[in-house]
Amino acid sequence: MAITYRTHMSIIGDILSTTRDEIPDESGASVTYLIRKANISYARLSKILETLVSQGLLEQTSSERACKYRISEKGRDFLQAYRGFREFADSFGLRI
Amino acid sequence: MEFITFAESTLNLLGFVVGLILGIFAYIGFRNTGSPTLFRLNISFFSISVGFGVVGFGYMIESLVLGYVKTDTWIQTLGIAIQTVGYFFIAFSHGIKSFFPKSRYFKSIMAPLFLIPANSIEHIIRSISFILLVYGTIETIMSYMENRNRNTIFVATGLGLLALGEFLGWYSIVFPKSVLYFISVSTKIVGLGALFVPISQVPLRGGPRFGNNI
Repeated sequence: MAITYRTHMSIIGDILSTTRDEIPDESGASVTYLIRKANISYARLSKILETLVSQGLLEQTSSERACKYRISEKGRDFLQAYRGFREFADSFGLRI
Repeated sequence: MEFITFAESTLNLLGFVVGLILGIFAYIGFRNTGSPTLFRLNISFFSISVGFGVVGFGYMIESLVLGYVKTDTWIQTLGIAIQTVGYFFIAFSHGIKSFFPKSRYFKSIMAPLFLIPANSIEHIIRSISFILLVYGTIETIMSYMENRNRNTIFVATGLGLLALGEFLGWYSIVFPKSVLYFISVSTKIVGLGALFVPISQVPLRGGPRFGNNI
């Protein structure tokens, strides 16, 4: 069976989905939690989180122990749009 | 203006509109996500749309404005060449997931597609379009085998009909004065319509734009 790698966009989709649907508590998801759920390295996750926060898709919340991340309203809109266009590309047998 | 020319122009203009809508949708997707796949689909559908438009508007202008009795064939050739660029991007968006068998029996089937129309640029272009579309159809069917997405069937059907339309258009070399060309364009429009089905199930909304920053 052929190995299929996730695209950069689908990793972003996974991170946003996790922060929207699977956060363990109200304050958001920790980096460790996201690494486990999104299944990527710390170095790569850090870069993506930085970009997503700067673009306003994620909100960074600081708790006593560590930084946590929560999806913003803009991030929800993006995720919805992303899923729609992913469905469109899937129809062509393609991945975005 | 003859009825058949009018009907052909109208069908080509319909193809122009359908291709344009598909292209705009892919462009919105590209602007929202910055995805290279959607960028390629955007180029592809815009090319198909422009290709139909060149033929449709070309025929209209020559018949109605310039008053030509017989329309120029270079318009048709130019339009089909531009469409072929679109089919190329659809076919090769898939990457090389399958390979062509190297058997001589297979070559004996494929070779005439290139050899018979060697005296006509238009028919060479149509042959290339046909092969690209068949390739795209096979890849899409293979994708359906993997993901079982119902919309993929519509896309495979659409690409298959576009391929059939190109084949009929190419075959009209044998019967140049028949209605084959008219049927060819109609088949291609139905094919484009089938590609429209996946779009109808995606909610179109403004949303934020991120471009290539992500």
